[in-house]
Amino acid sequence: MRYAARLSLIVLVNLVPGNPALAQSEHGLDLSSLPEAGAVSSDEGLAAWECIHTVLTHPRCLNCHVGADNVPLWGSIDDPDRVHGMAINAGDSRIGDDTMSCHACHQSSTRPNTIPHAAPHAGMDWRLAPIEFQWTDRTSAEICAQMRDPDRNGGRDAAGLVEHILHDAELTGFITWSFGPGAGRDPAPGSLQTHLEDMAAWTAAGMPCPEQ
Amino acid sequence: MDLKINGTSHTVDLPGDMPLLWALRDGLKFTSVKYGCGIAQCGACTVHIGGEAVRSCQVPLADVWGEITTIEGLGTRDALHVIQAAWIDQQVAQCGYCQSGQIMQAADLLARNPEPTDDDIDAAMSGNLCRCGTYPRIRAAVHAAARAMRGA
Amino acid sequence: MGRVKTIARRTFLIGSAAILGGVAFGVYYVSRPTDNPLLDGLAEGEAALTPFVKITPEGITLIVPRADVGQGIASTQAMLIAEELDIDPATATLDPGQPHQAYFNGTVAADGLSFPGWDEGFVAETVRDLMMNVARLSGSQFTGGSSSTADLHETLRQAGATARETLKAAAAARTGVARADPRTEDGQVVLPDGTRIPYTELATEAAAIEPVGVVALRPASEWTRLAKPYRRLDILAKSTGTQDYGIDVALRGMLHATVRANPGRGGDMAGYSADAALAVHGVRSVVEVNEGLAVIAENTWFAFQAAAALEVDWLLPDYPASSAEMWQVLDDAHVDDMRNSRLRDEGDVEAALEGATVVESEYRAPFLAHAALEPLNATVLVEDDKVTIWTATQVPHVVRDAAAEVTGIDAANVILHALPAGGSFGRRLDHDYVVQAIQIAASMPGTPIKTTWSREEDMTHDFPRPLHMARGRGAVADGRVLACDLDSISPSLAASWFGRVFIVPPGPDAMLVWGAFDQPYAIPNYRVTGYAAPPLMPVGSWRSPGACSNSFFHESFLSELIHTAGADPLEERLRLIDHADSRRVLEAVGEMSNWAGTDIGPGRGRGIAFAYTHGVPVAEVIDVTLTDRGIRIDEVWIAADCGTVFDPVNAEAQLTGAAIFGLGHAMNCELTYENYAVQQTNFHAFEGMRLHQTPQFHTRLLGLAERVRGLGEPATAPAAPALADAIFAATGQRPREMPFSKSVDFA
Repeated sequence: MRYAARLSLIVLVNLVPGNPALAQSEHGLDLSSLPEAGAVSSDEGLAAWECIHTVLTHPRCLNCHVGADNVPLWGSIDDPDRVHGMAINAGDSRIGDDTMSCHACHQSSTRPNTIPHAAPHAGMDWRLAPIEFQWTDRTSAEICAQMRDPDRNGGRDAAGLVEHILHDAELTGFITWSFGPGAGRDPAPGSLQTHLEDMAAWTAAGMPCPEQ
Repeated sequence: MDLKINGTSHTVDLPGDMPLLWALRDGLKFTSVKYGCGIAQCGACTVHIGGEAVRSCQVPLADVWGEITTIEGLGTRDALHVIQAAWIDQQVAQCGYCQSGQIMQAADLLARNPEPTDDDIDAAMSGNLCRCGTYPRIRAAVHAAARAMRGA
Repeated sequence: MGRVKTIARRTFLIGSAAILGGVAFGVYYVSRPTDNPLLDGLAEGEAALTPFVKITPEGITLIVPRADVGQGIASTQAMLIAEELDIDPATATLDPGQPHQAYFNGTVAADGLSFPGWDEGFVAETVRDLMMNVARLSGSQFTGGSSSTADLHETLRQAGATARETLKAAAAARTGVARADPRTEDGQVVLPDGTRIPYTELATEAAAIEPVGVVALRPASEWTRLAKPYRRLDILAKSTGTQDYGIDVALRGMLHATVRANPGRGGDMAGYSADAALAVHGVRSVVEVNEGLAVIAENTWFAFQAAAALEVDWLLPDYPASSAEMWQVLDDAHVDDMRNSRLRDEGDVEAALEGATVVESEYRAPFLAHAALEPLNATVLVEDDKVTIWTATQVPHVVRDAAAEVTGIDAANVILHALPAGGSFGRRLDHDYVVQAIQIAASMPGTPIKTTWSREEDMTHDFPRPLHMARGRGAVADGRVLACDLDSISPSLAASWFGRVFIVPPGPDAMLVWGAFDQPYAIPNYRVTGYAAPPLMPVGSWRSPGACSNSFFHESFLSELIHTAGADPLEERLRLIDHADSRRVLEAVGEMSNWAGTDIGPGRGRGIAFAYTHGVPVAEVIDVTLTDRGIRIDEVWIAADCGTVFDPVNAEAQLTGAAIFGLGHAMNCELTYENYAVQQTNFHAFEGMRLHQTPQFHTRLLGLAERVRGLGEPATAPAAPALADAIFAATGQRPREMPFSKSVDFA
């Protein structure tokens, strides 16, 4: 119940951005050089996927893209498998409703993360990614197949995947946060801009996937 | 800035990015809300906002979204909440510094789960650190409070 | 003017004195009556007789001079007085009093010796008496070493009894009844005709009569409060958020401060810029203090923000930069030149090892923070001729003297409001944070200033448990332990800490080998040698100092020898132990846990350890299970004997709490150094034990030992070796370095 208000707000906002191609600059992102569909070769698309995969499997992302045990990680580059302390289990709700709410510590705020090692926050309600988005213990090919499957990627087509990043930037969401997580945390490699460009290139190439 | 705390309105003149913890402690003298770590690792600063247990060290003052309840709002020395009574009966506290936060977290747990198992208690309360090691009695007190709240 | 009587037995001195509107009773133990401080320079109306019981028309105050850091000693002290005084202690005011020589702790001094606690021979006892007097003469009012109950239980009951009998005498004098006739009940004298006179009404008269001196203490069979379950006197406050700690002090006009010290402890400052800090909202000033800088502001949060904004050019401290280099220092110290003590040397170890198959092992224990949940803090008001301090401390006399030294104000004009602590575990045996708070307040006379360390300062500027390692060599024969030779290597804790609060005592550092040299085993060839490594950074006493590391080394190595011998770890310990109290706790823990060896089924394991620390034998058995998430501790059995248990509910809490402290740190915690600084800055990297890792506990206190001892620490030391032993039983791998998370995962 206590999340209903915020969730509906997010849904409303989601309707607003419309076609990302209309804007040349949004939320600090440069959209002017994103490729058109079909303008990228399969090899270039695979190269872009490699960059995407490097981001997706960075601890900053993996920590919340976990499997059916619903246990988030406190992974870092030095110790990628460290389990979230305090016996945290986000439950089947993936947001802690049946155990202890993520929100008890992780606030929903667009303010910068300034205190080292504090519970990080972003501009949306902290939670685990849906179970279909498990990236831990998955090969690059498996993650890639999931990413391009609308049944398992939140119903997104190619444009939707790009728009997802723009939408996140608008909310200062988890993707945006992962590139600037604040003091004491390793950021995901690259930047939101390069991630956007890689996603645009990969989708423009027809979402090619590696064999492994 | 206006805050409603334990049913009473308070006005504070403090920056919006100050953690609620420090506005409560130093600004409004709600010293039952304890500073232990400042990074949501110990739970000593746990209060309820809009009925939900949260770490007040992580909530910027300007972002407070509902009425705040501190342990004084749960029960007082003369009118104990049933959880506080259980904490007293089980003699949980040693140094006692974490116990306001423990009790506020237990109140959140019991509001959502009136009959928690040991595993349920562990899942909900392992974010509340006790350096003295009162954990066996915390478990016992949560069970006792649950029984009392069910009228059993 | 006070009056004094000498009790024949053991030279107790008992006094009473008129105070403003009432009477105060004190008891004082000295070796020579001429040393009685109750008479020296006591002027009319002065209340400097250091009483334990004060009675005025307004009420009864019980002086409880040992600091309550969570162990419940305030309640225990009050209950000891109340048992003889016949009052409900919940109706009295508890006051820690001002620091005074009369509240000296002789037991903690006597325990810090090179004799095992179970040695009751003439020499050991004589030297203990001597140390009691050293403590008395130095006015050492320490709370520590699990010594409070042992040190004060007779004194406090005597104070209550003296007050009670004097009040009865006052009632007899007033009413003309025979002095033997009145009885007492619930804060009142009851006359033969049933008339009740509250103590508070007798205060003035009681001050004017000769105090009743020789009072026999009530036997345990007559106790109505002691040794029965009772409620801690602070439990209501601590369950309702109304307990005020030092960090909660709120005074009119008070400002808030915090400290930013050199990350390399003890390193100096080449220079700094306060400009950015002073630009932070709500900041008043930046001042230089010991070890670094402080910010004074209108709110603790502003002070924290500003402290982070200080730009400081720190100079390096004089210890090695990294943990790896520090381990090397210990390794290098394992040479004859660095030998500090050999307090146990029986049989002929070298001869026994010659030609035998020698078992050899090395063990390590890391630096550890105390990390009490209440960050260190003190509130100080400096005025022209007076210093007032509000803080929690285990060394009030040291704090008082430091305040005088820093401000130049006479120690007699230092007022200390000693407050309950939100934990300590030995940290508040140091007073560095109070000195800084005094320096800060002295920069702004007339303004009370509360100085609060951030958690990060608290973690990184601890006086940590010292780095410690040990090497064992041993041999077995005919299914028995034949020889055990343990070398224990660490910087000297005694030299570091005593140097800060008193003077470094001469002779070997027994603390370096506490928990190893003093274990009551009769191993035929048995040697324990201490090596004092060069100091690294200043270190401190951490719950069960010395023994918290040495017991892990000693018991683990003993277990390895017993395993090599093919003997049962409980049976072989029982065979080796030459001390009745210790044997009984081992037998008890075996019975409680239905001991039948360490094999309790596939994927599980059982371990055992024993330690004799602070005069208390403790045996612990631990069961673990291997789960898919790691090792889970299922159950822990603890048997101990501290003699008479005055406070059974709290005693049980101390046993389980101390074991949890020992287990949690052995599993999960270490402080490591990189670039001279502590790497673990907050609880995200120093978790201790949390609820989900907490096992079920079963405890038993035997109550058979002759001497009364304390329980704050003793269950800590055997916890780590018992867990290591259980992990070995379950996995075949023996963890030899703490934290065990270096080698195994915990669920």
